[in-house]
Amino acid sequence: MKLPLAGQSRPWRSVEELQSPPAPSRELGPAEPPSRREVLQLLGASAALATMGGCLKPPDEKILPYTKQPPEVTPGNPLHYATCSTLDGRATGLLVTASEGRPTKVEGSPEHPSSKGGIGVLEQAQLLSLYDPQRLKVVQYKSELRSWRDFLATMIAKSRVLRDRRGEGLRFLMEPSSSPLIAHLRQRLLEVYPRARFSSWSAIPLQQIHDGAQLAFGSAYETRIDLSRAQAVASLDADFLSAMPGNARPMKDWAARRVPPNMARLYAVEAHLSVTGMNADHRLRLKPSQVHRFGLALLGRLVPRHAALAKRFSFSAEELRFADVLARDLQRAGAGAAVLVGARQPPVLHAAMHAINAALGSSVVSQAKPVLHEMDAGPRALRVLAEEMRRGAVDTLIMTAYNPVYGATSDINFAMALSQVNTSVYRTLYADETAERAGWVLPAAHPLESWGDARAHDGTISFQQPLIAPLYAGVSEAEMLAALFGEGDRTAYTQLREFWQARVPELGRFDLTWEKWIADGFIPGTAVKAESPAVNHDAVLAEAMKVPPAEKPGLEINVVADTKVLDGRFGNNGWLQELPDPVTKLTWENAALLSPATAAELGVEQGDLVDLTLRGPPARAPVVIAPGHADGAVTVAIGYGRRSDAETLCKGIGFDTSTLRHSDLPWFAPGLALVATGRKARLAQTQQHHSMEGRIIAVSAALPKLRETEEMLEEQRGAPLSFHRPWDYSKGYRWGMAIDLSRCTGCSSCVVACQAENNVPVVGKDRVWRSREMHWLRVDRYFLGEDAANPGVVFQPLMCVHCESAPCEYVCPVNATVHSDEGLNEMVYNRCVGTRYCSNNCPYKVRRFNFFSYTSEYSDQEKMAFNPDVTVRSRGVMEKCTYCVQRIERARIHSRVEGREIRDGEIQTACQQACPADAIVFGDLNDSGSRVSRLLSSERRYDLLHELGTRPRTGYLARVMNPNPELA
Amino acid sequence: MSALFKPGANTSFRVTLVVLALLLGGGLVAGPMIYVRSPYFTQQQDPVDQPVQFDHRHHVGDEGIDCRYCHSLVEKAPNAGVPPTSVCLNCHEQIWNKSPKLAPVRESYFADRPIVWNKVNKLPHFVYFNHSIHLKQGVGCVTCHGRIDEMALVEKAQPLTMGWCLECHRNPERFLRPREEITSMTFRPRDQLALGRALKDQYHVHTRVSCTTCHR
Repeated sequence: MKLPLAGQSRPWRSVEELQSPPAPSRELGPAEPPSRREVLQLLGASAALATMGGCLKPPDEKILPYTKQPPEVTPGNPLHYATCSTLDGRATGLLVTASEGRPTKVEGSPEHPSSKGGIGVLEQAQLLSLYDPQRLKVVQYKSELRSWRDFLATMIAKSRVLRDRRGEGLRFLMEPSSSPLIAHLRQRLLEVYPRARFSSWSAIPLQQIHDGAQLAFGSAYETRIDLSRAQAVASLDADFLSAMPGNARPMKDWAARRVPPNMARLYAVEAHLSVTGMNADHRLRLKPSQVHRFGLALLGRLVPRHAALAKRFSFSAEELRFADVLARDLQRAGAGAAVLVGARQPPVLHAAMHAINAALGSSVVSQAKPVLHEMDAGPRALRVLAEEMRRGAVDTLIMTAYNPVYGATSDINFAMALSQVNTSVYRTLYADETAERAGWVLPAAHPLESWGDARAHDGTISFQQPLIAPLYAGVSEAEMLAALFGEGDRTAYTQLREFWQARVPELGRFDLTWEKWIADGFIPGTAVKAESPAVNHDAVLAEAMKVPPAEKPGLEINVVADTKVLDGRFGNNGWLQELPDPVTKLTWENAALLSPATAAELGVEQGDLVDLTLRGPPARAPVVIAPGHADGAVTVAIGYGRRSDAETLCKGIGFDTSTLRHSDLPWFAPGLALVATGRKARLAQTQQHHSMEGRIIAVSAALPKLRETEEMLEEQRGAPLSFHRPWDYSKGYRWGMAIDLSRCTGCSSCVVACQAENNVPVVGKDRVWRSREMHWLRVDRYFLGEDAANPGVVFQPLMCVHCESAPCEYVCPVNATVHSDEGLNEMVYNRCVGTRYCSNNCPYKVRRFNFFSYTSEYSDQEKMAFNPDVTVRSRGVMEKCTYCVQRIERARIHSRVEGREIRDGEIQTACQQACPADAIVFGDLNDSGSRVSRLLSSERRYDLLHELGTRPRTGYLARVMNPNPELA
Repeated sequence: MSALFKPGANTSFRVTLVVLALLLGGGLVAGPMIYVRSPYFTQQQDPVDQPVQFDHRHHVGDEGIDCRYCHSLVEKAPNAGVPPTSVCLNCHEQIWNKSPKLAPVRESYFADRPIVWNKVNKLPHFVYFNHSIHLKQGVGCVTCHGRIDEMALVEKAQPLTMGWCLECHRNPERFLRPREEITSMTFRPRDQLALGRALKDQYHVHTRVSCTTCHR
């Protein structure tokens, strides 16, 4: 390829690769290969057995029709239901596909006002958790099997005693919640038990956000962002572009602002490279303890009355220059400017952010009253409760918070406190660490099995409806709470309906209203109103002046919520465990991330096992050298190192960070000691897999050099020279795809969507290590520039590009991969004999081989997650992206039965549907008005490895960055 | 006495050996190929026992009930659908409601337990056949399912092999009929080819033979 392009240097994927050019990748085989004789024997035997298999008659099959068919069900045609998924108390609108009564795909609800169809990885992967055979299935009391009736009987007796004592000693430790129904139940409980107390707990609390607002406004607020108006945004550790809950809307708005020529600019200041940091035009890496000092210094530069802060903190010349340029750019952007701060940052920085945004007159941010029942769901509140428990003041503890024994910081020692409680009740999906120590353990109904309500990230009241009857004896939170005042026999549905019925004034009209709400999944117009409260600058300044000018020197710990298992609750989910982390591309575990310089200083290398110690016992972690990481800090993700026996998938994977977290400094703290153990770990990191052998394929250009780049890209598109006369595809549909790298944030939501839609198996850590992961769609992440300390990053979602002259097809000896009349590169599983020639000849490295029959050992429950429209592949066959051909064919049949053509936008591939940034567009290239055609006629369009003459149907649009000339 | 074997005998013997070997080898290949296409293997004309003695001869032939009365999903779903028990009781609530032959049906209805039918027309799971589109394009029931009105127990009328599917997908005009005659068991046009060609244009029939048409 004739690139490198203007301003683009050789890309690299790890520090090793930067130092030495990539060696051709090598298949990792067994240590002692079989002899030629053994190979021939095995070949002969398998050929004979395969022939025999063809002679068996098809097995007898049964048909079980309904006795009375529900009117809405048409077997074979899936149904879609609107519901919501609630994580840490706030809901995301979902549209779930049910095939013959079982949910098979979770998608974002396009009509939901809060998320507008966007969806993250966790919500999608919830589907797999629903069918997890390791879920808790029965009520237990001290590890003995009991029934729900036993529990109710105990609670009736217990409630009599508690009622007499007016609820003295009754405590609740709840999952953070915004549910109006739960609020109502809590109120009723307090009427019966006035001395009972509620507290919430989450390992990832929003408490510092609320504290910061309290400081700045005198009242708790949450910041809402409308990035569609953004011009210049500074993220201080705010990861608003990762596929986490609540980010769907910001990602959608931000992506629209990243399309040239009128682009917004993003600055990131952070310790570890985050998804947002990867997308930033300028990124400053600072030690974790420095980020809030930088924010205060920025406040000093932007708001004259805080000028004392501008020079209070010591920063290097380069950092000061960054602050000056950033301040000027924010000022220029005025109403289009915004400073965003991550939830991990101390309240004073949140307050400073409010002061800056108010001074800039930012129209990007606004404030809204929080919707959570408890403002403080952090370690502070848990500590108070744990003290009470230790004192013996808690007689009955009802827990719905996720796994406090595992997730609480070590100094709280919640396990010990729990042993002092007379009666404890814990509602959980799995028999986890907390369940092992609790008295009554109730199996929780999965969100896709239960009724409920919650408020979305913008406050919109959303409804959760079940897609399937509880697979096990699961109970919902409302049912459990109702048991405490003798209404344990009332289902969550009855409670929910009656609660809302009481709130609709018009008599007799409720049924219709209710049906509409449930069908939509939300009540329109119930978002919390935006406010612009006045900032108390004096209070902010007084608090800011308390921040010491410099942090203690030495190594710092930087704890982050995991992008896949969150706080550990998704640990037993194979899709998430195997999803490569968007930044490090690490699967199946967490690691200690170090910058190259710090690693060199400490004398450790990639894969070394080290002991991390901070005021407690050590945690043993493997080292991952992370370009872009701040020096003098170690980043670790929570949620791994699980110990419960019930969750075998995540047991013993990674390391537990609780010994490194303390309730005074749960996220970052100085004084970390790192000692190499001299041992090595084997990391399943996909960043080096499917090597592109040094070709530049992900094009990234700076906005000022866009014209130049576009001229160069001229050579990377159009019809290549060929000896063959190209096939004529001008009749009928000509499917194609456009991927806009300028919109893509690298969040990996598409990877999970593809896995769910196409029955892609999970293969496990060892096979990922052998480069045998099965993902049809991968997101490549390349570093740019020669500076390993703070490189640029570009990423590229890559799946089969459906070449019109496909190299894989020439080499298949059995015609198992062929072309359709519409130009799809088809894979015929039944013809495939597994020579893997196609995979070797694929320049894009997008073909995946089933080395084993990964799905044959699935339990009956797990098989229920399969998409019935897609063949489940067996051992020995090749597979790859099909452009979601099952969706094409469904749309084709649908349109033909209706006697019309397929409309543009009618077919959305799974990845396209899941993409919160609208980076992927699929459609008919023969229709010049289709969205995909219009996108692909862009000057930024280029074909991957165009010089090979493969004529790919997927075209890419070069990424454009918008750097500030003052920092160039 | 002349020699028992002429000088050419050795050669003839060798040639015979080679021919035999070729025949045997060919048979080893051709045999299974013929076998899997035989009605024995495809289970054609092999009446399948059912838990209820349901007779299509009576319901379709004598009573003239349209196929779509019971198989009501056939025009809108991939599967034609075996009717729910409640459909049987639409009539048999009134007539033959004490017949012992209908005992399993009543039991199914009142106990809310499905009747377990034996599948007759089995397709492998990697084949995604859709009834609705075939009806829309003018493929009659009888074309694939045979004279159901003459079957006491339903049997597979056609091999349902891929080659058989492709016969129609390559030359649909040989099988198309007007949509009004879809469920007719006796429709015979005077000139099938002329009718088929006209219908192919009228219904915009574009049969496809790409793999993903049926395999996904």
